[in-house]
Amino acid sequence: MANNTNHQARRVALKWMHSVGLFLAMMVLCVPGLWIVLNSFRPTVEIMAKPPVWIPNDLNLDHYRAMFGGIGEGSVPVLTYFTNSLIISVTSTVIAILIGMAGGYAFARYKFKFKGGIFVGLMVTRAVPGVALSLPLFILFARIGIIDTHIGMILAYVAMNVPFTVWLIDGFFRQVPPELAEAAEIDGCTRWQAFWRVEFPVARSGVASAGIFAFLTSWNEYALASQLTRSTTSKTMPVGLLDFTSEFTLNWGGMCALAVLMIIPALILTFLVQKHLIAGLTFGGVKG
Amino acid sequence: MAQVHLRDVVKKYGVLEVVHSINLDIADGEFVVLVGPSGCGKSTTLRMIAGLEAISGGDVRIGDTVVNDLPPRERNISMVFQNYALYPHMSVRENLGFSLKISKRPQEEIDKAVDEAAEILSLTPLLDRKPGALSGGQRQRVAMGRAIVRHPEVFLFDEPLSNLDAKLRTQMRVEIKKLHQKLKSTIVYVTHDQVEAMTLADRIVIMRDGHIEQVGTPLDVFENPVNTFVGTFIGSPPMNLLDGTVKNGNIQFADGSTITAPPGYDLSDGQAVTFGVRADNIMPVGHALPRGEHIAEVELEVNLTEPLGTETLLFATLAGAEVQAKMLNPRPVQAGERLTFQVMLDRCHLFDAETGVALKV
Amino acid sequence: MKRLKLPQWLVLLMPAIIILSAVVLIPLLLSLYSSFTSYRLTRPDSLFNWVGLFNYEKAVTDVKFWAAFGRTVLLLAVALNLEMLFGLGLALMISKVTRGQRALRTMMMFPMMFSPILVGFQFKFIFNDNVGLVNNALQSLGITDTAIPWLVDGNLAMFSIIFAEVWTSTSVFGILILAGLYAIPRDPLEAAKVDGCTPFQSFRFVTLPFLMPFIYIAMAIRSLDVARAYDIVQIMTNGGPARRTELLWTLIGRTGYVDARMGYANAMGYVSIFLAIFFTIYFFKKLTAARKELGMGV
Repeated sequence: MANNTNHQARRVALKWMHSVGLFLAMMVLCVPGLWIVLNSFRPTVEIMAKPPVWIPNDLNLDHYRAMFGGIGEGSVPVLTYFTNSLIISVTSTVIAILIGMAGGYAFARYKFKFKGGIFVGLMVTRAVPGVALSLPLFILFARIGIIDTHIGMILAYVAMNVPFTVWLIDGFFRQVPPELAEAAEIDGCTRWQAFWRVEFPVARSGVASAGIFAFLTSWNEYALASQLTRSTTSKTMPVGLLDFTSEFTLNWGGMCALAVLMIIPALILTFLVQKHLIAGLTFGGVKG
Repeated sequence: MAQVHLRDVVKKYGVLEVVHSINLDIADGEFVVLVGPSGCGKSTTLRMIAGLEAISGGDVRIGDTVVNDLPPRERNISMVFQNYALYPHMSVRENLGFSLKISKRPQEEIDKAVDEAAEILSLTPLLDRKPGALSGGQRQRVAMGRAIVRHPEVFLFDEPLSNLDAKLRTQMRVEIKKLHQKLKSTIVYVTHDQVEAMTLADRIVIMRDGHIEQVGTPLDVFENPVNTFVGTFIGSPPMNLLDGTVKNGNIQFADGSTITAPPGYDLSDGQAVTFGVRADNIMPVGHALPRGEHIAEVELEVNLTEPLGTETLLFATLAGAEVQAKMLNPRPVQAGERLTFQVMLDRCHLFDAETGVALKV
Repeated sequence: MKRLKLPQWLVLLMPAIIILSAVVLIPLLLSLYSSFTSYRLTRPDSLFNWVGLFNYEKAVTDVKFWAAFGRTVLLLAVALNLEMLFGLGLALMISKVTRGQRALRTMMMFPMMFSPILVGFQFKFIFNDNVGLVNNALQSLGITDTAIPWLVDGNLAMFSIIFAEVWTSTSVFGILILAGLYAIPRDPLEAAKVDGCTPFQSFRFVTLPFLMPFIYIAMAIRSLDVARAYDIVQIMTNGGPARRTELLWTLIGRTGYVDARMGYANAMGYVSIFLAIFFTIYFFKKLTAARKELGMGV
């Protein structure tokens, strides 16, 4: 009997430790981000106050107004950056998905020589660090004259995302039994129809998750963008963040406002496909 | 070696009670089979004994210890799972020796126990393979081997044969029975297959909807079912049941036909009863082994036959309902043939028509 | 009329191969070539000034290069291991929660949505010695009354960078390991309990082997993307103070763009590329091996 109570006591203690640990972990994960959000609503004076002001007594939309109005110090053309980011990310994502679907399907359904080698070869291109790639890409783009254009950025991001989309989509097509397409072909579909009407719908969630991944990567990328964009014609938001810095000062409040603008679309997308995201990664990796 | 006692054991999931206050005493060295249709609570009960499910009420005792709050590792039990539950990343040898390694036994002892278990279950040539490279029957044997290396006080089996094909199942059944004879340990075995239950058990526990319906030796529950559920669940084909009323010492069925009431019942006129008879006790004249002194004869039309070799199952219409009968030393029978059947009344059962409970002397 | 007919798989793979050749392979060949020249951005004709292995020799004999190289490997080793441990802990804690698991999962993914550059700024802000959140908190709580120079002291700066890096990337591990935990069949775990395992032993001998493939996927994904740390470092310290946090990538960036010595930068770039490729292939190999061990197919 003493043994039994002992076990119960330990269970209770463990439960407490669990709750406390979880709470602390979540604090560490969330506070830095929430801090940014909070500061985007506070006047710069209060952010910089010494001693610190812990309880905000003046929340306003000044930074947002300045950001969208293009007024105030530096007048950062945030809306233009937002549009650039959107155009570049969406276009490159769509193209990367199409290419990834073709490639992923090839890996999932066909047998050919050097398949493993080609696969790793594609993956490895993704491992090339952005800085290292940006040097020659900069020279090349400058030669062709697509530096500081949407096209240039889109090309770069498509290349960056293709390995990942191929990997994820491959994993999903493998989950679709080949018999499904065969049955469709026997039912009178062409191979093309069988793909679009049977295999694609079944693997659609995988394609969606690959899309989100590609979008987030493009949306948040900095190393390449910082070198391949020069002006407002193609600068994206991550590069735009630097506009809030000058030699000696930093407009924290304004930067926080832009940061919130960057996070919101990412946040919404991630929430929407949270489940597929996990499934996508695991299918691609473990079972593929 | 140990006894297992369940006292008023209850399992609840939230407000849903799935096991209702069960009482059961299992003797040392006894082979007890829990049987019932799926969802009857038999697996839950077993898992409460194992410590894999929390006990919502009552006590489980193994030996002299109340084990309600003990984790499985302190209950000195071992368990064979339906899906074998082998560790895929370990070889057969490692799988077998795992529990001993965990309890920090010396290596020679582990080797000896593993070799012994492998010998008993003829796994010796497979010791260095991974579970992925084994057939279903071999995996099943590894799972059993893993259970026996520990020499636990109680073995628990959770539908261990249900993933095997019919032939292997019969074979493994024999092996399990031999194992029990050799080890003489207490076994609690869960299955939904009444043939397994009949062939393996010292005592059968028949469960339904979280209640124990009957506990007894295989022959006892076969011959003296306490209600219509047990009557139809145990035995194959299931017992034929016909509703009727008592009239002048006869049973009158819905269509007006009658049959002599089985002897030994205390019946009153107009009483509503369910008449139960197994196929073994309704046989065509000349193809039967008369059992008992009281025999009624009825002429029935055969609708369908199922030849099984040593016997043939006949589907015939009795009092408007389909009944199954057996024909020994069979001859070919055509559908539509009318035969005279003998009903061994000593072996027929009467149940209360409303509650299904056996009316016994 | 007979045309050359390519196999279908090749047709399907063609777009991927073309775009990757054009945007990755050709530039890399170009940079390979330029790494054998004394190419400077400011003098285009220097692209044809062949210097052989001079740049590589220079890199190999450069103390600054080796310091950055060593620091990069150290950062990766420390960060990846910490991310793995924290991710594992986080996933285990979340998997044990009975209610509100979905919300917790979402919260865990929060840092993943942050652009690395933003993470850099965020932690530059938080670790700021004057108005940063950390120092403010420490001072208000009375733990210290001096301003701790998080980003100014070399060792502390390295710590701050690793903190930021671990903060962003732990969720990748957390999520994948959580997915792994969901995928573990229940039977072997129960068998382990019955076999006499304590919770820790069940974890060590059953859960962990099952999780290994998931951990390796996370490692592989991360190693495809390690250079992300560049953005963070560049913003937080830009290699400073006094090069105490200089990584291979910041060194390359500075040499190429600030000093305009492209040839030399590209030579060092190649070293960083091989480093990344090495990590990637290593983890893919591990992944395949772990999968085979669990009999998960190829």
